[in-house]
Amino acid sequence: MTAIVVDRLTKCFGDFAAVDGVSFEVPDGQVVAVLGPNGAGKTTTLEMLEGFLAPTSGTVRVLGTDPHRGDRRWRARIGLVLQSTSLDAELTVRETLDVFAGLYPTPRPVGEILELVDLVDDAEARVGALSGGQRRRVDVAIGIIGRPEVLFLDEPTTGLDPEARRRAWTAVENLTATGTTVVLTTHYIDEADHLANRLVLLTAGQIVADTTPEVLRAQGGPATIRYRLGGGAPLADLPLTLAGYLEHDNHELLIRAEDITAPLRDLLGWAHLHDLDLAGLEVGPPSLEDAYLAAIGQRPIPEGTPS
Amino acid sequence: MTDTAPATAARMPSVGRLLAAQISYQARLLASGRAITIGVGLPVILLIASHSSQTHTDAADIAGYAAFGLTMTAWNTYGVRLVAAREAGVLKRWRATPLPHWCYFLGRILATVGVAVLAGAATVAAGVLLYGSHLSVSGTLAALVALMLGALAWAATATALTAAIPTIEAAAPTFMLTYFPVIIISSTLGGISEPHWLSTIASYLPAQPLVHALSSSLGHTPGHALLPGRDLVVLAAWSIAGLAAAVATFRWEPHRPTQQRPARALYQPKPDDQSPPSSTMISVGPERLSPRHAATGRVGMPSR
Repeated sequence: MTAIVVDRLTKCFGDFAAVDGVSFEVPDGQVVAVLGPNGAGKTTTLEMLEGFLAPTSGTVRVLGTDPHRGDRRWRARIGLVLQSTSLDAELTVRETLDVFAGLYPTPRPVGEILELVDLVDDAEARVGALSGGQRRRVDVAIGIIGRPEVLFLDEPTTGLDPEARRRAWTAVENLTATGTTVVLTTHYIDEADHLANRLVLLTAGQIVADTTPEVLRAQGGPATIRYRLGGGAPLADLPLTLAGYLEHDNHELLIRAEDITAPLRDLLGWAHLHDLDLAGLEVGPPSLEDAYLAAIGQRPIPEGTPS
Repeated sequence: MTDTAPATAARMPSVGRLLAAQISYQARLLASGRAITIGVGLPVILLIASHSSQTHTDAADIAGYAAFGLTMTAWNTYGVRLVAAREAGVLKRWRATPLPHWCYFLGRILATVGVAVLAGAATVAAGVLLYGSHLSVSGTLAALVALMLGALAWAATATALTAAIPTIEAAAPTFMLTYFPVIIISSTLGGISEPHWLSTIASYLPAQPLVHALSSSLGHTPGHALLPGRDLVVLAAWSIAGLAAAVATFRWEPHRPTQQRPARALYQPKPDDQSPPSSTMISVGPERLSPRHAATGRVGMPSR
């Protein structure tokens, strides 16, 4: 089954195309992260998937329904966490969850939800008295209380401290283990890497990459060799093939290359010859962040080119 | 799918139950705020303060202070809170739930009517208890009708006005500026000397008919109408017009700040666009895809 079908989706505000001919499909159970710089069209795309905005052209189907015309039965199958926290502050966490649970035909028990988002100890606290991270988790709790088949998360961890982010990730992971389809937008590459098994990169309203984190990482740039040099390293004997990669006042070798076989062989030979300790040697693929930055620097067509 | 499917097959909660729950929820929100303390407490304090050397007061005075408490709740408190909820994204959040939109809308208004009637009734009760004002059963029932219709008129009109208020910062000044002049020219807190034309205008606004209807109920004497028909018609007209305008103009979403954005080429839809994917498009390897997508090796179709 395909949970989401987006075909040539476009949204214009005046003569500004915030989303420009975007197409993709999301199979059931997939976790998709929509990434991109500010103004790339992530939230606009998400709001069309959620039914808040009508497309200028193109089509969207979520669970087989046009979201802008989704009835209450359709909305009962959708969960969402908006970009900013949006809760009435006066009631307690438990009272708030009780009210939202009553809207759905088969809600999760409130006690189960409180455990899932790690808010058991704060159940009787007023929402207005919670920290930003705790309130965000209440947002997530409301988003998933109706057992959604598709969950939209719009920057769910923006503004959270690292511990709160990890807790939110755990809540999402617990949910995805039940087969829920998740579409999330985020500015955090590590979040997308951690949660998503697919990345859709938007720039200027258009998709520039639709891939997995592993493939993006592999395609985004060269591999890296990093080696911290001790004070007594015999730099005079350093092979010429490596000498050009000295960094930080000759305290580090940093080599980025499409093929690292030759420089790595030279480095190992040099280290073996001088009996150097290689405990600090790092050899790895390019970082996902580097790959992401490389990808969003690309455009399908140059700006201003007639279509 | 595992435990996410039942929503499609299970029965949705009944609309009646949802509406009742929404009224209860909204009433709790309204009653838990400090503003309700003002709506109930301030009129009673003013009633006592303005009659500190008297042992009696008349029905018109009690009606005026009761209308003051009611309108503070149904206009200022309700209206400002509604704008605040909209700008904070609370309304947008509710709009995305399975709750019918009209159910949220009506629940919020009816809860406000209930709490505002309570605020007005508290002042009437204070007048009866402190000054020994006589109140018959028929007068009580008629006063309740006047309070309910008055609260609905003010709350419905406030709902309509929220569409014209762009920010939470503008909400309180807007509601105050549209409130106090009406209250004053309607002689709600005591008679003032005003020209006839101003008094005529006031008789078509929702404050004076409310005070008049309430006063007639509380000070009812045989041979006079419990509820003057003209006042009820004016209040009903404001209720209907307010609801109609609210339905036509109500905003669920916060106002978006206007931004100067760089011009971008406008997308030209190309229904017959069968062009191959762009060479710069990064596509996923087929080994990671569902069978449906594996044939093409792509899960997304680049637009150009």
